[in-house]
Parts: sequence; C-alpha cells; structure tokens
Amino acid sequence: MPAGKITVLICDDSLLVRKKLREEIEKSFHDCEVLDAADGEAAIRLYKENNPDLVFMDIVMPAKDGITAVEEIKSYNRQSKIVMLSSVGTQKHLKEAIQAGAFEFVQKPWKDGQIEAIIRRALA
Amino acid sequence: MFSQYFGNYLLNKGLIDSDRLREAIDLQNSTHLKLGVLAINAGYMDAAQVDEIHEKQKQVDKKFGELAVQMNYLTNIQVEELLSTQKTGSLLLGQALIDKGYMTLEQLQTALEEYKKDYSLDNKQFNALEHDDIETIIETFVKLEESPHRKIYKDYLVLFVKNIVRFLDESPMIGKCLPLEQFSPEWFVRQEIHGDINLATAISADGKTFLHIGNKYAGEQSTWVNELVRSSVAEFLNLHNGIFLVNLSDAGLDVDLKPQTVARDTPLVTGPGFAVPFHLSSGQFHLVMAGV
Repeated sequence: MPAGKITVLICDDSLLVRKKLREEIEKSFHDCEVLDAADGEAAIRLYKENNPDLVFMDIVMPAKDGITAVEEIKSYNRQSKIVMLSSVGTQKHLKEAIQAGAFEFVQKPWKDGQIEAIIRRALA
Repeated sequence: MFSQYFGNYLLNKGLIDSDRLREAIDLQNSTHLKLGVLAINAGYMDAAQVDEIHEKQKQVDKKFGELAVQMNYLTNIQVEELLSTQKTGSLLLGQALIDKGYMTLEQLQTALEEYKKDYSLDNKQFNALEHDDIETIIETFVKLEESPHRKIYKDYLVLFVKNIVRFLDESPMIGKCLPLEQFSPEWFVRQEIHGDINLATAISADGKTFLHIGNKYAGEQSTWVNELVRSSVAEFLNLHNGIFLVNLSDAGLDVDLKPQTVARDTPLVTGPGFAVPFHLSSGQFHLVMAGV
C-alpha cells in the first residue's frame, strides 16, 4: 500500500454502483479520495487529470465502453492499475479485459470484503 | 407460492373478497390440512363423499381414512399417499377457507377443477405447481409454444424469478402474459441483448412499483423516482441480463449487452413480443421480452 492517501477512480454508468462502490471503499480506507465518472470518455479525462492509484471500470457503458477506455488509459500510462467490474462475466469479456490490460475482473455483485482485498492486492 | 396463485384466482373469479382472502392467508400457518381436502384435490373423492364421511364421523369414532376405506372410497395405499402429503401445505389456503366457513367443500372442489381446466393443467402439472416448481409455473402462465425462441425465453424467465427472490427478497406471482399491442408502459428500463440472439428486454411499472423495486434492490428508502431509483432498477435488469449472458456463453453462444435506457411515458418500441406480469408485495410490474 502506498504511504498516505490513496486515490481511486470509479467508472460506471450506474449511479447506484458508483454510490455503493464509493461507500465500500470509504468504509475500508479512511484516507482516500474517490473520483467517479459515468462513461469511458469522462474516466479517461479524470485519469489524466488526477493519476489515480487504481481504477474500477465497468464494461457496458454509453459514450465509450470500458474496454476501449482501458486501452486508452493503458496507452497513456502502462503502469496504470485497472479492475474491470461488470455484470457480464463471460470468457469472451474476461479475455478482452485482460488483453486490454486489466489487472483483475470482478463480476457484479461484488462479495463482502472483495473490494477491500482487491485494493490491498493492487496497491501492495 | 401456490396459495398466492390459487388465492388470486378465487379473487378474480369473485369467489371470495380480498378481506376474507387476507384473513385465510394469515390463518394458513396454523391450519391443519385434512384428509378430505387432500382426497378431493387428488381426485380420489368428490365433495359429497367427503361430506358423507364427515357426517358418519359424528356417529362413529373412526378416523376419516379408516371410514373412507371401509366405504370403498379410498384404498389403503391411497390413504397412505394422502397422509404422506398432508404436511406439504400447498392446499392450506383451501383448508383455511373451509375452516373459516368462507367456502364449502363443494365450492372448493369446483374451484380446483375450474382452476385446472382454465390453465389446462393435468394432475402432474398441478402437483408441480403446488410444489412451487418455477419451470412449471412459467409454462402454465406464459404460453411460449409459438415463439421460435421458446427455450431461451423460458430459461430467461426462470432465471428472472430466481433473481427476484435473490435480489429483491420477494416471492413474485406471475400472471398471464399480454401481447405487446395491449401494453402501455409508464416507467420502463430497457436493455438489448445482441449477437447470436437478439432480444429486447424491459422492466416496466407504474411509479409506485418502480420506486419499490428500485428501493428494494438498492437497499435505500427514496420517496420518489429519482436518479438513484432509476439507476437501481436499471442495474437490477443489467445484473439479471449479465447472469443470463454467462449462461448463454457457457452454452456456446456469442452475445453482448447494450447499455440500459430508462424512460417515462414514451412508447417502448420493439419487434413482436410479450409482457409478463409479476405481482410483488407493492403491486404489479411487467417484464417485456421482444425481438429487435
């Protein structure tokens, strides 16, 4: 874990998912900043402005889908750590996410403690 | 769950009013299912024969099964079979209605026969319905024979019922499905599946039920259909469709989801399809399945 404050970017077109994920992260990490975006375009812009430690990215979104957004963030910063978070956990989607450069794949709904464990693993 | 279906049927047929039905439903848990009701339900005896034995029991201190065998209405094997199902509880509503004096044995017998006839149920299907077999419930209420995607639609609906139980913590009751021409949604969330299968799906409800679904799924207590409620219903449909896509993918099909859209008082434009009514504790909503 990096010493001090961590910054996490959430990208999901669902307000509910953004709210619940933010609550989950803030519950586990008191010294953190959570940013959120509702589509891939906004996520790329926020990433470039804030350089977050970790990104949670949905796949199916309007404007720009999650796989394309991951590819663009990865081409901007090869060291970026991105977790795909999707309701669709097919082998095809998993493969696409890994090929795009995702660090991990979480199928919704996430389980208790899963988000905290992923953040700790990603930032170890 | 069967009690809900049969209770609703009795209500719709005007055989009982809602107050008495509610009272009988409350009474179900403390009701003891009697052999006579089970014998009528199984088609072994008619109401007149059961009444005859009840009258006889006023004169001789013998059990119902014993007398029924003695009077050649039942065999010992049938009595044993009925006794073994006595605890299943599926007919408790009928028994509770009789115990309260809201229906006679004859009326219950007629209602059960009419119910089986109206839904074209043979005894095997009826038995499955009594035991909350989701597949049979769907086959009974949603006639999919003419659909080219019958199996996929059925699988989709079976999973949807399970997801209502899992994520909304409700026991839904399914009604007879409507063709889309007779359907005018108020609020709806729509999501399309594309690929080897092309399907438009939607959840549609009036404001009150839409709010209820959104609050249940989100675990929130919003008082109006705000953005959080809209996104919650949308996410519930998205989650369900996501699980369904994993099942399709495991079966070798290549499919993808489109983002959901939420709308109010606008036509739900799709190809041919149908809307399946689901009754929850707060009211009714429809699940739409249609071509795109």
